[in-house]
Amino acid sequence: MTSPSARSSGPAMSAGNGPIISVRDLRKSYGSLTAVDGVSFDVAEGEVFGILGPNGAGKTTTLEMIEGMRPIDSGEATIDGVDVRKDPREVKRRIGIQLQASAFFDELTLTELLDLFGRLYGRAVNPMALLADVELTEKAGSQVRTLSGGQKQRFSIASALVNEPRVLFLDEPTTGLDPQARRHLWALVRTFQERGHTVVLTTHYMEEAEELCDRVAVMDGGKIIALDTPQALVDQLIGRGFTKARVERLANLEDVFIDLTGHDLREDD
Amino acid sequence: MGTRVRLWWALFMASVKMFVRNRTALFFSLFLPLIIMLIFGVLNFEGSTTVSLGVVDEAETDASAALVDGLAEYEYLEITEGDRDPELAALEEGDRGYVLVIPESFELQLGGETGLVAYASTSDPSQAQVGQGLLQQAVGGAIASASGAPIDPNAGFSAPLTFESVESRDLGYIDFLVPGIVGMTVMQLGLFGVAFGFVQLKRTGALRRLFATPTSPAYFLSAQVASRLVLGYVQVAILIGIGIWFGLQMFGSWLVLAVIVGLALLIFLAVGFAVAGWAKNEDQAAPVANLISLPMLFLSGVFFPRDAMPEFLRNVTQFMPLTYVNEALRGVMNEGATLFDLGPQLLGMGVWAMITFLVAVWLFKWE
Repeated sequence: MTSPSARSSGPAMSAGNGPIISVRDLRKSYGSLTAVDGVSFDVAEGEVFGILGPNGAGKTTTLEMIEGMRPIDSGEATIDGVDVRKDPREVKRRIGIQLQASAFFDELTLTELLDLFGRLYGRAVNPMALLADVELTEKAGSQVRTLSGGQKQRFSIASALVNEPRVLFLDEPTTGLDPQARRHLWALVRTFQERGHTVVLTTHYMEEAEELCDRVAVMDGGKIIALDTPQALVDQLIGRGFTKARVERLANLEDVFIDLTGHDLREDD
Repeated sequence: MGTRVRLWWALFMASVKMFVRNRTALFFSLFLPLIIMLIFGVLNFEGSTTVSLGVVDEAETDASAALVDGLAEYEYLEITEGDRDPELAALEEGDRGYVLVIPESFELQLGGETGLVAYASTSDPSQAQVGQGLLQQAVGGAIASASGAPIDPNAGFSAPLTFESVESRDLGYIDFLVPGIVGMTVMQLGLFGVAFGFVQLKRTGALRRLFATPTSPAYFLSAQVASRLVLGYVQVAILIGIGIWFGLQMFGSWLVLAVIVGLALLIFLAVGFAVAGWAKNEDQAAPVANLISLPMLFLSGVFFPRDAMPEFLRNVTQFMPLTYVNEALRGVMNEGATLFDLGPQLLGMGVWAMITFLVAVWLFKWE
């Protein structure tokens, strides 16, 4: 189960200034359908990197190939110096994954699950500390099935942190959450970044990408069609002579919603 | 303890907890068989008020014939006439409650020495006492009426009867029922306990979440199988324990029983994983699981003996896995059969275990 060579070479490589994630010409096809069509990008350590795009653009497939969850047809992906194609298990050891469908064993309590996930990485964890990170300590003894949608997402992140990963992958982490829960999750992501984690996330929400991401890749039809900082992408658009049909208001409906209902988390979705 | 052992143990315990805390799984795999057993046990299809009496007429005189005719007047007696040896053998097998032997020297005389000997089974003392009373009354009444006195069931003739005890297996319906229920439970555990639980993990993506960790899925699968084996044994122990409380008898070796239960669990766990591995969701798993389990539930002799079936159906259904399991369970529990005695059944189960295992491996898909 262990691969000493990859493990010993990893930290040495990542100690340099090279990218922590390096993806070159990644491809995946299902029959005649090309899901991912030659994707390349680098992610620097400590960066929050966003992958945007409409449904079916290939975001999740790209993510899953990099995570070692799905076989790579062709191309290369390296995380923390480990080649995903050669040693997906070692990659999984170094990353934390939050899946789009955050399902767990419903009958286990949060504490039991975190302990179990710790074992799956061959380590003993401190469930209460992990739950404190995502503000779920009061639910420690509850079974997963009793959690609300937002709580499930946060627990899902806690479970992705049991191995103290160098890179955290979040697949649509705020889909289906109310504005309060979404903002709470944003704060969580920023905390991880401050602690030196690298975060890769996919999202449908542009304000989320603007809020969180240092750089974003926009995907469509299995290809990356733009890659830059959110500000640079906006500047480029304006530079091409774009003007909004309507002048930007000083506040939008979401601001109204938050103003009316407050920032406090609601636990029953 | 090594990390791998600890990991496996953690997965095993998680699997046990998941099962025990899942009320649906618990209901169908433990309480339902229990309820069925209680209902059938309480109904008790035997009809306990009749006394099965074998009559061996060695005198063959008018007097003995008159006595037999007199006994036939008593409706609670279920009389079978036959020779001494087969009748005593039937008594040992539990097919007769008593065997009355009318000796050559028999003469009809009230209150005197008749030479009548009644053999009683030793298996159920409380029932034997009631039966002895009834028998004594009947014999006394029959002698009285045959010798010309008017029949008066309330007259309370003292019957000149000698009772002899015979070691026998007096099998009740509970003795037939419990092995069948054990077989059924093992089948339900494999088909529903495994298939549904696992398919649910597959559909919700909980299984995928495991693949996001560096642990090989083989650990999870083996821990699941082991936990179901242990839970299966616990369930069987509970069912048999309650059965014993209801008068169930065990004539064979517990070790042989454990071997049979283990092999049966392996067969049906493999069937369960085959269904779970193939199906994408519960909607696909349910009809297939029912299609497999229902014919066996009714045609493998769970509740009623297969002897009652039409011959062609009996010939076809004797090859079903649960039929082998039930026959082996009844063999060890009712007849005290050894593993050697159960060769044909164990062979049948072994072949099924191999077939189901190969099918499970062939059909299994993680996603």
